[in-house]
Amino acid sequence: MRLPQAAVGARYDDLAALLAGVEGRPPAEPALVATVTSHLVHEGRLLDGGRFEEWLESFTDDAVLWVPLSTPAHPGRDQSLFLDDHRRLGERVGWRRDRTAWGQQPPSRTTRIVTGVEAWADTGRVVARSSLILDEQRHGRRQQLAGHQIHELVGDHFRCRTKILILPALTIGVRNPSFVL
Amino acid sequence: MTAVESDLSPEMFENLVQPDRVHRRVYTDPEIFELEMTRVFAASWCYVAHESEIPGPGDYKTVTLGRRPVLVTRGADGTVHALLNRCSHRGTILAVEDRGCAKSFTCPYHGWTYATDGRLAAIPFPADHPVGDRSVLSLGRLGVDCYRGFVFATLHPDPEPLEVWLGPARESLDTIIDRHPGGEMVVLASPQRLEFVGNWKLSWDNAADGLHATFAHHSYNNLGQTVDVETVLARDPGSTPMISKALGNGHMLVDQRPGIPQGPWATMRDVPFREPLESALIDAGMQDHLDLATGSMVNLSLFPNLIFVGNQLLVVEPLAVDRTRLWLWLTSAPGAPYEIDLLRLRVDEDFVNFGTPDDLDMFERVQRGLSIPEMEWIDMSRGLPDDAGEVAEGVVTGSITSEAPQRGYMAHYAKLMATAVTTRAL
Repeated sequence: MRLPQAAVGARYDDLAALLAGVEGRPPAEPALVATVTSHLVHEGRLLDGGRFEEWLESFTDDAVLWVPLSTPAHPGRDQSLFLDDHRRLGERVGWRRDRTAWGQQPPSRTTRIVTGVEAWADTGRVVARSSLILDEQRHGRRQQLAGHQIHELVGDHFRCRTKILILPALTIGVRNPSFVL
Repeated sequence: MTAVESDLSPEMFENLVQPDRVHRRVYTDPEIFELEMTRVFAASWCYVAHESEIPGPGDYKTVTLGRRPVLVTRGADGTVHALLNRCSHRGTILAVEDRGCAKSFTCPYHGWTYATDGRLAAIPFPADHPVGDRSVLSLGRLGVDCYRGFVFATLHPDPEPLEVWLGPARESLDTIIDRHPGGEMVVLASPQRLEFVGNWKLSWDNAADGLHATFAHHSYNNLGQTVDVETVLARDPGSTPMISKALGNGHMLVDQRPGIPQGPWATMRDVPFREPLESALIDAGMQDHLDLATGSMVNLSLFPNLIFVGNQLLVVEPLAVDRTRLWLWLTSAPGAPYEIDLLRLRVDEDFVNFGTPDDLDMFERVQRGLSIPEMEWIDMSRGLPDDAGEVAEGVVTGSITSEAPQRGYMAHYAKLMATAVTTRAL
């Protein structure tokens, strides 16, 4: 028996389609790329600076941050590292501030290198794909994850409705990944 | 084949693992670690696969058992095989993908080809090869047995039957399986893989530790707290009716159910997309299924490598004396409404994201602390004497904060480590 769960199913299908569809897009328009690049680099600066509350403000109320474990992926058919809605994203920010969240005490120091930005204007949204190197240092050790990220940005202020992080190192195993955002 | 030689005497393990304390060397000595890979891992029944991962003929999965590369296959006739993933010719690994489907396995180096049951099927240019008994050139074969979909393998020359090895743990395993409609469980394709700089036993110490959650997982309790129930996350778990058990053969149990008569779903905080999925089930009068969306509250650990936590199978893979990889495989319930599996995805990643990082940090802190040679011992005396609890048929039952489960697995571990065994491939 299958019950109606259309809203969740539709959102999950959209996420899978966004992830799969971006690879087939044509080369991006430079003018839009320049505008989007400044937003993505700014996002990296907020996260690396630990300014999580400001960062959270750039997300829409219906936002999703999704970190699949492999590609192709569908968030309703297989495990992810996580898929946060706005509520859990807020809790994640709160957890990062909790002095008893031992997995982030002391906090990770991160450096994000955002490069290879491409962006396309769809009806009612801008879709961006960029390469990412995420370097983490904590407890005297360092690990570096490389991959790419996809952003779905909406409105005049380029608020983020969807962010997808693809980090292939997750398929071989990483140490405490609680710094991944 | 010959037994793995060791200068470590059987008496030594009586000294290292005492009834109320364990020596730091058990966690830090590379020589002990090497011996564990044979006496504990290769010589025990280890979990290697769930049958749902290899549903059809030719389906396979690659794993390690005591660091040995192992290939778990389903042969053409449907039989499950556990094979050493090593070409009989020069030793090349045959399969390198995590999983796949193959009609046969051909070595990429010199073209030797093996059937999915491990038999040598073909050697290129056979006229150049001496004629003889080709069966001795089959892939190394492990002993394999299945219990209700769970596949275990061993290199022990004369293993006890799987159900005897499970012993009293079998009842808890049945409990976990039987809560799924039709007893049907399916393991999803992608595991979470987490590594920590610490000995594998640190995850084992943690698995049936009913006290740590109050402290190590304090931040999980602070996280958008919407429920107030008496799980291991309670302020004083020892005052609740929850229990822990040493089940024999190193197996362990924490049973949180006595603390939560409302059922497992009552423990669940709000996770992404909970409301529409929960409403859909309630509107259809199927709310009784909701307990399936979270774990059974029966934390069962089958020594040495399988831990049931939530709806995940946590597999412990030792990499080095101070390096461990954890695999977390999520199970689905194909006989339940689809909403249950959609909920499980968001439910099980919740603790992995906001609880497990704290555990990983504790494991790494402990490993660093155990590097201090002048401080030799780890205390494991909580809840002693064990006969203060209930002791029956080799099972020791204590309060949830008793360290009886840890003492139980350590005693079994010490027994295995003191026993010379000639592991072999069939």
